[in-house]
Amino acid sequence: MKSKDSSYYNNRRLALSIFWLVTGVVLTVLSILEVLDSTYWSGMGGGLIAVGALQIARNLRYRRNPEYREKIDTEAGDERNSFLRMKSWSWTGYIVMLVEAVGVVVAMVLRQETVRTVLSYSVCLILLVYWVSYLVLSRKY
Amino acid sequence: MRNRIEEIRNERGIRQEELARLMGVSRQTISSLENGRYNPSILLAHKIAAYFGLTIEEVFIFEEEEA
Repeated sequence: MKSKDSSYYNNRRLALSIFWLVTGVVLTVLSILEVLDSTYWSGMGGGLIAVGALQIARNLRYRRNPEYREKIDTEAGDERNSFLRMKSWSWTGYIVMLVEAVGVVVAMVLRQETVRTVLSYSVCLILLVYWVSYLVLSRKY
Repeated sequence: MRNRIEEIRNERGIRQEELARLMGVSRQTISSLENGRYNPSILLAHKIAAYFGLTIEEVFIFEEEEA
């Protein structure tokens, strides 16, 4: 029976990196050929090429360099790092919601109806996602 | 929660890096534990205590007012 590869930079991550790289190349080529709007899609293509290439380079280094592999595995499995990541996401959610709520009030004062509507919906969406997440997690734990 | 990790580690001449590697965590985690800035999971606390050959209560000092 095959066991699941628990390495951080496993074959699945390598395949995903290759996918980003290939997608980036395709978007860039299509924008050069003017099949797609060049400014937007070429920018996205360039970004995907950079991300894909960087991740492939890291993946190869991880496979060839045992010290780097140990460092990455420790960082990925370190419980304090996991705690910090979760805490950072939590803070991010709070801060974004507060900024948007303030933005709603400012948009109301400045009579920016479109901005106010978009920000209001965004605040509602964040609250909805929070409540659904809480419900799902409370059933799980 | 206070703990005796630094004291026990120094008594036994173990470096932070070495303890971190043996516990499968980063050196920063050991440093944060020693400074009392981070409380470990029960699994890590058990692992550290077991490595020192002590009980969790002998390494980690639970104070009632923290509850």
